Amino acid sequence: MNILIAGEGKTVYFLCRTFIAKGHKVTVINRSQDESIWSARQLKIVSIQGDWSDPLVLEEAEANLMDAVLAVTPNDHDNLAICQIASLQFKVPQTLALVNDPDNEEVFRQLGVTAISTARILSNLMERRVGFGEITNLITACEGKLNITEIELTETSPVAQKLIRDIKFPQNSLLAYILHQGQPTIPKGDTILYPGDRVFVITMPENYAETIRMLTGDKG
Amino acid sequence: MPSKNLFILIVGCGRLGSLLANRLSGKGHSVVVIDNRDSAFNTLSAEFSGFRMVGDATELKVLKEAKIEEADVFIATTRDDNVNIMVSQVAKKIFHVPKVMARVFEPKRENIYKDFDIEAISPTTIAVELFLESVAEFLTVNKRGS
Amino acid sequence: MQTRLILWRHYRAILSNTGMIMVMVGVLMLTPLFVLLAWHNEWIYAKDFLIPAFVLMGVGGALWRLLKSNIPVSITIQDGGVVVLLSWAIASVFAGFPFMSILGLNFTQATFESVSGWTTTGLSVVDVAKAPNMVLLWRSIIQLIGGAGLAIITLAAITGPTGAGLTIAEGRTEQLAPQVHSSIKRVVILYAGYAMLGIILFKVAGMNMFDAINHSFAAISTGGFSTKPENIAFWDSTAIDLVSVPLMILGNMNFLTVYLLVRGKFKAVYRNGEVKAMAVLIPICIVLIFYLVSNSIYPTFGKSARVAIFEVVTALTTTGFMSTVYTEWNSFGYLVLIVLMIIGGGTCSTAGGIKQYRVYLLFKSFIWEIKRAFLPKNAIIENYFWKGEQKEYINGELLRQLISFVSLYMFIYVLGSGIIAAHGYKLNEAMFEFASSLSTVGISCGISVASAPPLVLWTETIGMFMGRLEFFVILISFGKIVQDTFAVFGRKN
Repeated sequence: MNILIAGEGKTVYFLCRTFIAKGHKVTVINRSQDESIWSARQLKIVSIQGDWSDPLVLEEAEANLMDAVLAVTPNDHDNLAICQIASLQFKVPQTLALVNDPDNEEVFRQLGVTAISTARILSNLMERRVGFGEITNLITACEGKLNITEIELTETSPVAQKLIRDIKFPQNSLLAYILHQGQPTIPKGDTILYPGDRVFVITMPENYAETIRMLTGDKG
Repeated sequence: MPSKNLFILIVGCGRLGSLLANRLSGKGHSVVVIDNRDSAFNTLSAEFSGFRMVGDATELKVLKEAKIEEADVFIATTRDDNVNIMVSQVAKKIFHVPKVMARVFEPKRENIYKDFDIEAISPTTIAVELFLESVAEFLTVNKRGS
Repeated sequence: MQTRLILWRHYRAILSNTGMIMVMVGVLMLTPLFVLLAWHNEWIYAKDFLIPAFVLMGVGGALWRLLKSNIPVSITIQDGGVVVLLSWAIASVFAGFPFMSILGLNFTQATFESVSGWTTTGLSVVDVAKAPNMVLLWRSIIQLIGGAGLAIITLAAITGPTGAGLTIAEGRTEQLAPQVHSSIKRVVILYAGYAMLGIILFKVAGMNMFDAINHSFAAISTGGFSTKPENIAFWDSTAIDLVSVPLMILGNMNFLTVYLLVRGKFKAVYRNGEVKAMAVLIPICIVLIFYLVSNSIYPTFGKSARVAIFEVVTALTTTGFMSTVYTEWNSFGYLVLIVLMIIGGGTCSTAGGIKQYRVYLLFKSFIWEIKRAFLPKNAIIENYFWKGEQKEYINGELLRQLISFVSLYMFIYVLGSGIIAAHGYKLNEAMFEFASSLSTVGISCGISVASAPPLVLWTETIGMFMGRLEFFVILISFGKIVQDTFAVFGRKN
C-alpha cells in the first residue's frame, strides 16, 4: 500500500517504521525541518517538509496516488482538513484522522471522516486494567458498542473444569476463541475450560461486568 | 432598532471578528464571541453589548456552552483556515445553523468547500479582484488620456 | 482647539444622554398625579409636581434633541459615568421640589429625602402622618425607579445609545441576554413582576390598596419608605411581616440569579456565592438576634421570633423596613445589624452595601490561601467562582480591586460615622445610622430627623449617594469633569 502520513514527533517515526516493516511504501509530511531530515536518514521513506494541510504540498506529495492517508497532527482541525482534502480533492480511498477531543470522533464521522481518539482508547484501557491482572481488554469496536476481552482463567475461576454447554453466558455475550496450552480452539458444547486457558469473549458494555464476574469470580 | 434580533455566534475575536461583533451588536443583534485568549476581547468597543466566552471552539463542549443550537448566524473568523473550516462544518452539518460563514485566507482551500453550503469568504481573493479592477481602470483612463 | 473639539464630541453625547434621562424624570414627576383619581382634593398640590416636571422635560428635551447626533453612537463607560453623576444629581435636586413647596422642608432636608428615595435608602425626615398622598406616592415612585436605575428605565422606554456603557456605569454590570436592550427589557419585566406580586401579597396580608402599592414599591426596590411614621411596625401583623420578608429577599437578589431561577436553571442558582452567603448569614444571625437580643425585649415568643427574622432580613437586604424601634436593643444587637448592613445585598440588584458577592469572595480567598498550604509546592491552582452559568477565574487584579473597594468603603464608613459622632451622638448610634446611609439601608435609631444638624444630614446624603452609585464611578467621573474643565479653560489650545 502507498501510505501518506501527516504529523510530527516520535509517534510518526515509529508508525513509519512499523508500516515499512510490513512492506508498505510510506510518505511523510512533517513541518519540522530537523525531524524530516532525521527520518530521511533513518528510514526508507519519502520525507517532505511543509505545511501538511496545504493542498499544494499534498499534491506534491502525490496524494492522488495514495491508498491511505493518516492525519496524526496535534490539531484536530488540521487532521480534518487533511483528510477532507485527501478524499474530496485527491480521491484517496481510505483516510483516518487522529482526534484529541473524544467528542470529535462522532463529529468527524458525521462530516465523513473516520476518526480515533487516543484519549478515549487510553481511558477505556485504564478502566479495564485497574485491578484485574488476568484481563486484557483488546478492542472496543463499533463506536464503543462492542468489547473484545482476553481473560486468563485461574484455579479459582467459577467456570474452570466445566463444559461449555453447562455454563450460562449472559445475554449477547459470546465466548469466541480459546487458547489451551498454546493451541487455539473454537469452543463447542463439549469443550472443557481449564485453569490457564486464555479465553476471548465478545461482550456489550451492558453485560461486560457480568461476563467478567462469571469467568473470574471477582466481584469486579 | 432592527425589526428582527438575530442570535449571532462569532468564533475568533481578532481584528475582523471584533469589528464584526461591534457593528452587529450595535445594530441590536444578540452576539456571543468565542476566543481562546482572554486578551482578545480588549479589541471590543463600547458599542458591543454581547457576551464573551473564553474557550477553544473546536471542542464540541465549548460550542454547546455558547448555545450554538439556538444560533441564527455563525461566523468563523480565526486566523487559522482549518479551524474556521472545521467549526463552520460543525455549525452547519451537526447543529444546522441557518447561515454559516467562514473567512478562508488561502484561496486554494476556498474551492474545496463550495459544496458544503458554507459561505467561504477569502479576503485575499476579494482584495486581488479589487486591486485588479483598479489597475484595469487606471489603464483605460490613461490610454484615453494619452 | 483640538482638545476642545475632542472634548466637545464627548460632552455632546454626555449632555444629550443626560437630557434624555431628564425628560424621563420629568415624565415620572407627573405620575403622582394619579392620586387625583381617588383623592380629588389634592389638586392644589398638582402644580408642585407640574412645574418641575415641565422644566425637566423642557430643558432635558432641548439638550437631548439639539445635541443628539445623527449617526448612532455608543457611549463609553467613562462618559457613562459622567452621565450617571449628572443625571442623578439633577434628579435629586428636582425631585425634592415638592417636598419644599408642599411640606415646607428646606433645601437640605428636601435633598436628603430625595436622595434617600433615588438611592433606595429609606431614611426619612418627612412627617408622613401629615403628608398628602401625592407626596407619599412620589416617594415610593422614586424608590421604585431608583432601584432599577434611572438609565435602565430610560433605556427601556427610549432607544438610547448603543452599547452597555451607560448601564455598566450605573452599576448594572451583568446582562441577562447578549444584547443590552434585550437584557434591559427582561430586567424591567422581572421588576414589574415583582411589583405586581408585592401589591397582591400586601393587599392579601391586610393593607389597603394605596398602602399595598407604596409598600410593594418600597420592598422590591429595597427602599424602605413607608406611608406610616412607625413603618411596618404600625401594623404589628404577622402576616405583613412574613410577606415582607420574601419580597425583601427577592429585591436584593441579583437580577441574573432570579432570571436563572425563573428559567429553571436550579444548579446555577444553587452554586451561586450570594445565595450561599444568604443561606448561611440569615439563619445564623436570626438565631443570634433571637437569643441575645429580642428574647429579652419582646413579650411573646412569636413577636421575638418575628422581629429577629424581619430585622436580620431588612438589614442584610438593605431594604430598611422597620418592625420595631431600636431604643431597647443592646450593643450586640447593634453590632449584628451594623455588620449585616455593611455586608449588604446582592450585586446587580437594587440593594446596597459592600455586596454579598464581594464578601463571599473575600471569605473564599481566605479558604483558598489555607488550602494552598496543603498542596504540592509547585501545584498551579486556578480558583474560580460561578458567575451566572459560567465560571470566572480569580486573578490578582480581581482580588486587588476587591480589596481596594472594601478598604475605601471602610475608610468612608469610619469618616462618616466620625462626623456624626462629633455632633454629640453616641458612638453605636452614629455607626448604626451611617451604616444605614452608606449601605442605603434605611433603618434608623433616631438620628435622621428633620431637626438633625445640617452637616449630619449632608454627611448622610453624600454617604447614600456614594453608596448607591459605587464610589469609583462618582470619584472618577467627578475627577474627569474637573480635569476636562481645566483642559478647556486652563490652556490656550
